[in-house]
Amino acid sequence: MLKKNLLADIKAYGISNLFAVGVIAFDKYVIVDSHVNVGGIFVFSEFIIVPMLMGIISAWFWRNAGLTSRELTGKSFINGIITIALASIFLGEGSICLIIVSPLLFGSIISGALIGRAMFRRNNNTLNTSIVGLMLVVFVADSLSEHHYENMVSDTIIVNATPQQVWKNVVAFKRIKEKNKYWLFKIGMPSPVESTVEGYYLGAKRKCIFSNGYTFDEKIVTYDENKNLTFAITNQPRDPEIMGHIDIEQGQFLLKDNGNGTTTLIGNSWYKLYVFPTWYYDTWAQSITRNVHLRVMEHIKELSETK
Amino acid sequence: MFRFVTRYIGFLKSVPTLGWLFDGLLKLWAFFTQPALLDWMDEIETEVLKWKRTTSTIHKYGGMQFNYNSKEIGHIHSNGLLDMLLNRSVKAQLMLDGRISDHHTFKNTGWISFYIHSAEDKDYALALLELGYKRLAIKLPD
Repeated sequence: MLKKNLLADIKAYGISNLFAVGVIAFDKYVIVDSHVNVGGIFVFSEFIIVPMLMGIISAWFWRNAGLTSRELTGKSFINGIITIALASIFLGEGSICLIIVSPLLFGSIISGALIGRAMFRRNNNTLNTSIVGLMLVVFVADSLSEHHYENMVSDTIIVNATPQQVWKNVVAFKRIKEKNKYWLFKIGMPSPVESTVEGYYLGAKRKCIFSNGYTFDEKIVTYDENKNLTFAITNQPRDPEIMGHIDIEQGQFLLKDNGNGTTTLIGNSWYKLYVFPTWYYDTWAQSITRNVHLRVMEHIKELSETK
Repeated sequence: MFRFVTRYIGFLKSVPTLGWLFDGLLKLWAFFTQPALLDWMDEIETEVLKWKRTTSTIHKYGGMQFNYNSKEIGHIHSNGLLDMLLNRSVKAQLMLDGRISDHHTFKNTGWISFYIHSAEDKDYALALLELGYKRLAIKLPD
């Protein structure tokens, strides 16, 4: 009996993960790459429909094991861990990415296993085929749809200094020594530490250096002294945490003289997302961008307010 | 957490599969924080399925749904929240005991909510489901 259950577990984990690898490879190299402008994009279905189908597949192998909900949830959790390990090994995903994606994977695999258990208990083959067929149709339709998403995040702080005092710290700033407050930075996500510039003029090259040594190469495209510094990102690091998931396109600092010795400092960033669904990933992207802004802007505030 | 999600981003439940995904996460949370809850839900399901003409299905927004003649008696989300419809007079009587509350979304209806936190609550949930079952059995006789 024990041997039989172990065999069912191995089949459930093995076949469901093999299915996921096969479908994602098919999606990447056959469906998506042959479709215009969507190469390299991870679509909604890959994070939700595929894990749900994985759960259904595993439930098929456990259908005669008489698992309780507690056992089914535990085994599905193990299945999710295996999937994450495989994504790390074969897709080269970074640990922060895997933390971000894990709620979608675990939630979908567990709900898929529960759906599967309900399906195979009823043993209605027509209904079961319809459910799986419908999920595959959604998967193909989603993969063939055009995916394009751009957004901008804006943050504002008040600096107790004049725009002239703030400006020099906006264009370039010395190393940030303040400890990180944001939880993702604390657990290892790179945070901005320094910005350097080759000169204070339009077209000058700028670098934004992160805590792990990675550098964003930038070029100043608007240089309106004491008012507007806009820079285009000309090269972003090949960090597995961001590579193929997000492109930071442009950054901007706007300074507004409040007329009372203070300055309103606005930080804007424009980015393009390559991971879907955006209701999930853009929430993370906004949170991360906001915390990058605030770390830099609070540092600029501190430097500018120091007499 | 459940209240926050239903109140502020509850509109997302209309996105296909999202309710199921959220319920899967609730199940995982229960697995680590209150695994006995998953056993109680299984025990409720086993008991309800002994009643004539009952079935269990997956609720459209996630959770286990119990039906009588394909008509919903009630459903339990994976955080142990039982939602079900009673007639208003029965609901008003039960509300006096203070154990049940208005449904987390449908206020001023016959819908009620009840959280299962203990084995005793499990028995009470079963009693509530039996009331719902009898209500439907009278309304929709064989």
